[in-house]
Amino acid sequence: MPVPSPGGDNGSMTGAIAAAALFSFLRMLVAYGFALAFAIAYGVAAGRSKRAERVMIPLLDVLQSVPVLAFFPAAVYFFIALTRGGRLGVEMAAVFLIFTGQAWNMAFGVYEAVTTLPSDSTEAVRAFGLSPWRRFRRLELPAAVPKLVYNSILSWAAGWYFLVACEIISIGKSSYSLPGLGSFIQRSMEAADVGGMLAGIGALVAIVVLLDVFVWRPLTVWAEKYRFEFTAAAVGESRVWDAYRSFGIAHRAGAFWERLWRGADRPIERLERVPRDSPRGRLLHAFAIFGRTLFLLAAGAAALALALLVASFLRPPVPPEAAKIPAALFFSFCRLLVAYVISLAWTIPLALWVGENDRVARIATPIAEVAASIPATAFFPLIVFFVVRALGSVNLAAVLLVLTGMQWYILFNALAGARQVPGEMKEMTKAFGLPFRRRARLAILPAMAPSLVTGSVTGWGGGWNALILSEYVTYGHRVYEAPGIGQLLVRATVSGDTRLLVWSIVSMVAVIGLLNRFVWRRLYALASVKFRIDA
Amino acid sequence: MLEAAAVRAGEPSAGKQPASLAVRSVTKEYELPTGPLVVLENVSFDVSGGEFLAFVGPSGCGKSTLLRIMAGLIPPTSGEVLYNGAPLRAVNLDCAMVFQSFALLPWLTVIENVEIGLEARGLPDEERRRRANFYIDKVGLDGYEEAYPRELSGGMKQRVGFARALAVEPKVLLMDEPFSALDALTTINLREELIDLFRDPDIRISIAVLVTHTIEEAVELADRIIVLSSHPGQIVTDRRIELPRPRDRRDAAFNEIVSEIFALIT
Repeated sequence: MPVPSPGGDNGSMTGAIAAAALFSFLRMLVAYGFALAFAIAYGVAAGRSKRAERVMIPLLDVLQSVPVLAFFPAAVYFFIALTRGGRLGVEMAAVFLIFTGQAWNMAFGVYEAVTTLPSDSTEAVRAFGLSPWRRFRRLELPAAVPKLVYNSILSWAAGWYFLVACEIISIGKSSYSLPGLGSFIQRSMEAADVGGMLAGIGALVAIVVLLDVFVWRPLTVWAEKYRFEFTAAAVGESRVWDAYRSFGIAHRAGAFWERLWRGADRPIERLERVPRDSPRGRLLHAFAIFGRTLFLLAAGAAALALALLVASFLRPPVPPEAAKIPAALFFSFCRLLVAYVISLAWTIPLALWVGENDRVARIATPIAEVAASIPATAFFPLIVFFVVRALGSVNLAAVLLVLTGMQWYILFNALAGARQVPGEMKEMTKAFGLPFRRRARLAILPAMAPSLVTGSVTGWGGGWNALILSEYVTYGHRVYEAPGIGQLLVRATVSGDTRLLVWSIVSMVAVIGLLNRFVWRRLYALASVKFRIDA
Repeated sequence: MLEAAAVRAGEPSAGKQPASLAVRSVTKEYELPTGPLVVLENVSFDVSGGEFLAFVGPSGCGKSTLLRIMAGLIPPTSGEVLYNGAPLRAVNLDCAMVFQSFALLPWLTVIENVEIGLEARGLPDEERRRRANFYIDKVGLDGYEEAYPRELSGGMKQRVGFARALAVEPKVLLMDEPFSALDALTTINLREELIDLFRDPDIRISIAVLVTHTIEEAVELADRIIVLSSHPGQIVTDRRIELPRPRDRRDAAFNEIVSEIFALIT
């Protein structure tokens, strides 16, 4: 069947792109709304209670290191079944996928903010008798703002990255498509319509840049107000934020925000003030216990059902193609390793340079942020097409694609690490006249080590996810494949071979878990003990 | 002052009855991987209304822990604290605390920081503003109501800390090394102002407890000094300071007491 070109003449193409952009943006916004609410609730709950923390944080660790794209087919089945095959089900599946790419790092951010509150502040808030709600409003939520803003930027970047992949879904014989920029670009590519493709990518880049200029940079400057350290960090500036302030927009937005919360204050505090031993208080207490028990039971039942389901797929007979899994995992691992070495090779020198030079930092940081937010997935088919044509290697193309999902995490953590090197330490090495290479070896790299390990963990996480999109790429009716676990997963999805799919996912998650347990966690413990800077 | 009268009229009973605190055989242990660490061992004393008490001791003697146990912020491992004769089971809202690191919330203005404790007590907005303004004036920060903590010097931040504590009109004021994060000159000024605040007829704190590692500070301010030893924290001496006020740091009697306590600690 000939695929109709998304854009005929120029006028209707502009309209089609604008509509597609709007749909994609709304999808992202809905997913982000859920992710934000989830992150705040989960992070505060895990940060407040030691008992909850013991379950919730390892769980979050698992969720974060599992490649969510692998679960996408299952999610699509589930939501489509839930809505009896309606388009709403596909929408829900897409939103869910974006959500899973956005929520975990934000939840970790909130959790970290709540657990690293200065003890004097938490004591002051207790000593002055603030209720749990007031504590949340006045202390925990504001303290989480800087981490929330920073992680929101990463989350939106991750969201765009997945969005391109999740607007067109084919499972077995059925194929679903949602209106949006991702599907627009993909359809243009399948039709080898270069004009449409470039226009779609252009629109995507434009949205990303506009969001950065009008939303994220101003919010980053604003979030500085919510830092505990009383020293000014190098956040740069935002003319747009200055404009928001001088036109009174910032002030009005702040007042609106405060009013919104105040509306919630009164009913919640009325509930909090009900004495524990009054009939109403006992009723409320019983209700709270009932709700908590019900929630725990439901969560436990869901986990059990999932485990049983997975186990039923894993039961013998093992699908014959599962024999390919070890080799596929090995190939994919090598690909990730090469991408990792490339990432380190360019990000560390850049971070060192930026750390030495404030002017470079002011220029490089915003550029890197925007570059990282542009979803490389949109360019995948192009990269594959040109690399395969020029160098004849699908393997090299796949490494490049994996690199796009990995390098930014490492770059940003390296940059953050370079910024964290105490000024006095840098001055000390300079004052003693050490040459740059010695300074880097002795003082800067060790001080960066914990951030580099964090960057590596998240970078590898991004890499595993990118594998699924990188080892199986369609461009102009041709499929480019590189042997690996990602390829196996997509093949199993396309052919509807659920048993192979489950086998692939479980083996992949097991390998990731083992790597985290035996490599990254140990490296992190080492880095955070040996190279910690107590300032 | 007119304003002060109005505030008082709204709170007829605030701070009028004297309060009493009794610490009864308090022991505090922390479980460490290396075994239990005894921070305080069998500490007992009484504080009655009108007293200014100071804890002095080397670092690690558990004086800050003791202060927090008296506030009801942390429970003792054994023993109890009686407030007005009743055992303390939760945070004592008749107490207010001043912290070493000020513990101000950086995203709130001076007046919003001062209002924190009043907000928790559910006072109406207008009354809250009025009281906060009154105590901001008292600590000499008039005109800085809308400033943010990061715009203030260390001494001014601690003034906000004092205003926040005074604004809840506590019966007991607890101070955890309130001056040790400040420079020497600021410290001397603030100590004098603290004494003036206690003489102020508007301020009706019944008991004040100060934790410090500066012996001069304790001798200058307190009516009574409890000296604690470290590992574990136990009471070494409990003595009254009968020097007339205002006290002079260069006075021979003053220095004698300082040397005497210094000898006990080292």
